[in-house]
Amino acid sequence: MGLNIIFEILEKCLQSNIVNQATLVQLRGQKRVLTTCTVKNGIVEEFSNIKLGGVGIRTSADGKSWGFSSTNKLDYEDVEKTLQDSLKLAKASSKLKKHRIKLDRVKDVTANVTTPAKLPLRNLPIEDAAKIPLEAYKGAKEVGTHVADVKATYIGIEDDKYFVSSEGSHIRQNNTRVLLFVDVIAKSNSLVCPASENLGHSGGLELFDKTPPYSLGKTVAEKAVNLLKAKAPPSGKFRVVVHPTLCATLLHEAIGHPLEADLAMAGGGFGNSIGEPVSSKLVTIYDDGHVQGGLGYFAYDDEGVECKRTNLIEKGVLKSFMHDRTSAATAHVSPTGNAHAWDYSVEPLIRQTNIGIEVGRYSLEEMIEDVKEGLFLQGTFGGQADINADFTFGFQNATRIKNGKLTEEFRGANVAGNAIEVFKTIDAVGKEAILRPGACGKFQFAVQGRVVPAVRCEILVGGMGGS
Amino acid sequence: MVSETDWGFLRDSVYKTVKKLENRNIVHAEAFFTSTQTTEVSIRNSEILTQNKADDSGVGFRVVAAKNKVGFACTNTLDEKTIQETGEKAFDIAKASSEEPNFALPEKDRIPKVKELFDKAVAEIVVEEAVDIAKRAITAAEDFDRRVIAKDGRVMFQTGWRGITNTLGTDIAEQETKTVIYLGGSGKQKGEVTGSCSDFIFSRAADLKPEIVGQNVAEMVIEMFNPKPVKTFEGTAVFGPEAVSNQLFEVLVNALKGENVLAGHSAWTKKLEEKVASESLTITDNALREKGFSSRSFDDEGYPSQNTVLIRNGQLESFLHNATTANALKMKNTGNASRSPNGFNMVRWIIGNGYRAKPEVHPSNLIIHQEKKTKDKLVSEIENGILIESMAGFPQASSGMISAHLSRAFFIKNGEKQHAMKDGMISGMAFDWFKKISGVGNDSKQFQNAVVPSVRVEGVKILGA
Repeated sequence: MGLNIIFEILEKCLQSNIVNQATLVQLRGQKRVLTTCTVKNGIVEEFSNIKLGGVGIRTSADGKSWGFSSTNKLDYEDVEKTLQDSLKLAKASSKLKKHRIKLDRVKDVTANVTTPAKLPLRNLPIEDAAKIPLEAYKGAKEVGTHVADVKATYIGIEDDKYFVSSEGSHIRQNNTRVLLFVDVIAKSNSLVCPASENLGHSGGLELFDKTPPYSLGKTVAEKAVNLLKAKAPPSGKFRVVVHPTLCATLLHEAIGHPLEADLAMAGGGFGNSIGEPVSSKLVTIYDDGHVQGGLGYFAYDDEGVECKRTNLIEKGVLKSFMHDRTSAATAHVSPTGNAHAWDYSVEPLIRQTNIGIEVGRYSLEEMIEDVKEGLFLQGTFGGQADINADFTFGFQNATRIKNGKLTEEFRGANVAGNAIEVFKTIDAVGKEAILRPGACGKFQFAVQGRVVPAVRCEILVGGMGGS
Repeated sequence: MVSETDWGFLRDSVYKTVKKLENRNIVHAEAFFTSTQTTEVSIRNSEILTQNKADDSGVGFRVVAAKNKVGFACTNTLDEKTIQETGEKAFDIAKASSEEPNFALPEKDRIPKVKELFDKAVAEIVVEEAVDIAKRAITAAEDFDRRVIAKDGRVMFQTGWRGITNTLGTDIAEQETKTVIYLGGSGKQKGEVTGSCSDFIFSRAADLKPEIVGQNVAEMVIEMFNPKPVKTFEGTAVFGPEAVSNQLFEVLVNALKGENVLAGHSAWTKKLEEKVASESLTITDNALREKGFSSRSFDDEGYPSQNTVLIRNGQLESFLHNATTANALKMKNTGNASRSPNGFNMVRWIIGNGYRAKPEVHPSNLIIHQEKKTKDKLVSEIENGILIESMAGFPQASSGMISAHLSRAFFIKNGEKQHAMKDGMISGMAFDWFKKISGVGNDSKQFQNAVVPSVRVEGVKILGA
């Protein structure tokens, strides 16, 4: 079933009497096609075509509570029943709600937006999809006999989404995303060293123009093999220079999550500190759905609010949280376009789109030169953050800095700390930012972008050895 | 409740497609199909946030073309024509794939019956009851102590069918219910905000005991006030069930997975019948456990469920397998094909679970056998150490390195809990820890894919702030 038929059903649903019984109805229809191919040690292990379609309907009852219902059955009767369910669900808790949520009316929008793609996914023959991870495997395997395990996965995502609301918006968004993941394990006797890296953007297969799959595979394998010669990581509190690859995780986990209004309102680490200094003066942080190529590129969010740049922290001072319409109404501010749902089957939540740190004035070399005793941390293994801004995340490798010079190499470990305390220790920000692909699993999945330079700060490193 | 007519239609259409594929030039074809209905209430910041309902049905086909080339395609558009096209698509992909010499599907076999996986009361639940349960959990936590905030949570009721049809004659289906209550809380006093504490119940039944969950969370939160840093030291650690179920579970599973043994990077690749842990560690994978959250009559490629001893008194006895890894290693299938493995895996998160994915190797209910001592008794025997209820941070599962933030941990001196820890980390090699286990508790708790008690380990390094 084409998306046009889903559109017609959604439009017809808007005329249903059920809509009149609700304060607000938001209907989202979606078709998604995923092509994935995983090559493990030269063998195509998983080669899939995943076609999904469905409708998710969110309804506000009595101006107090939300209900959400979704279905993969796309005939009018089933979608109308889903609308009815959504209203019933909304009403189920409205008596328990003390306060009415007075949402700001958003401008009704009629838009049809397509993410630019130089080499569209639809032109890729199925056989050629398998060549992408196979090339990455070849690049990795040629690094040598210590390469024990190579897994490469290509994913192409084509999304066609339609949003209509009882406020009058009709928004169609067509987005394609391309990703490549490479994981390598190098082994020597009983020593096992993993390394991984991924590429990803909103757009087409031009992703591989700059970094071909072969060279990504080779780079990751070389890193894993080099780590076999590295020492066990040290432990203790260190002055560290954080490479942009790791800074992306630091930014997302440590400072990004506490800046999401739903977490902040739950008594998060920033509390209600708008207008107060919360970080080093060198730090300006923003979220911007319009970063071209960012995995979190969106013209509109899943409540029909236009995505834009929001300055969250300016020169160390807290300026704004990321909001959906409900949290914005509670905080008496405008929504920031941060309500996003992974697919039709789940309701929108406050999510980062492309979060970024404004560049500073130091080159990486200058940042290292000024450190007498410390570490240069690179690569990421993902992380977690808590409501009080405590965070933990992994780095893949580290180099000791001694009197401004890079010396011995270490394998990876985790770092931990409290984001607010760590961000106060930032005393240098790099002058070059890179756009990184990212992902997040807050209640539901999301792909996001991060625009990050290197930073220098103090952090607790949980290594195996002494300091 | 999932409509019997819709499920019957899906099962018939899938069966017809598999039969049609049999007439093509294929080696095997398999269809995995599910239909679920989920009602969920979410809690945020002391209030009910939303109520959700999701109907989801779909089918995923694996088709094996000549030379063991495998393709997968799935859809959730469930008219007969689209289902057949999806089967054909899987065949097209198989032809474009490469040879997978070890690929295997399980032969048709007798399927056991696992008791109490379906509770009719769950199927009959209405959303107002779910809202009431969520509200009772919030009230129980916040009435217990005014400093406690019910930060987030959820109450979930799910009913569903799962079926498998293949060209080896397997044509089976099972109905089940799943229920979950989860509550996360934190505490606030005089500008101090504690980290999160959570409690949950993974069950098959409608009776979710929200008052107990709420009170447990409140008690945990109160213990977190006034944390103090400690200096780096080496001592004894008791890992509570939650800490065991995260990082330690992940390292264990990574070493036990047949696919990692096949790739040669499981730390236990050549250690079958060798001691890999202390005498007190016995681990089984029991998919037959009555009411078990991940119990089932057959795994996600149709192999009959079983109870497998993996480690007996510290000695490695078996790995976890699906049909392909068992075939490749010439070992016995253990029925651990899973299309819904939990854990952090970005690729899996993008693709989705269930009918959207081909099966991987994953535990059903991984059970660490409990012993007689209570957690308090294990703690009371420690001179200098730590009780770790939860830790944050992903382990490096392949090497066994754990380097985690102590998100809920308590300093122990002379058998007494002293205070909550501030900003500490723990680091070490989990494979060494398994050999230094000096006690296993009697406080087993059911998690999604694990049933585990507290575990005490000697000689663990704690990093101070």
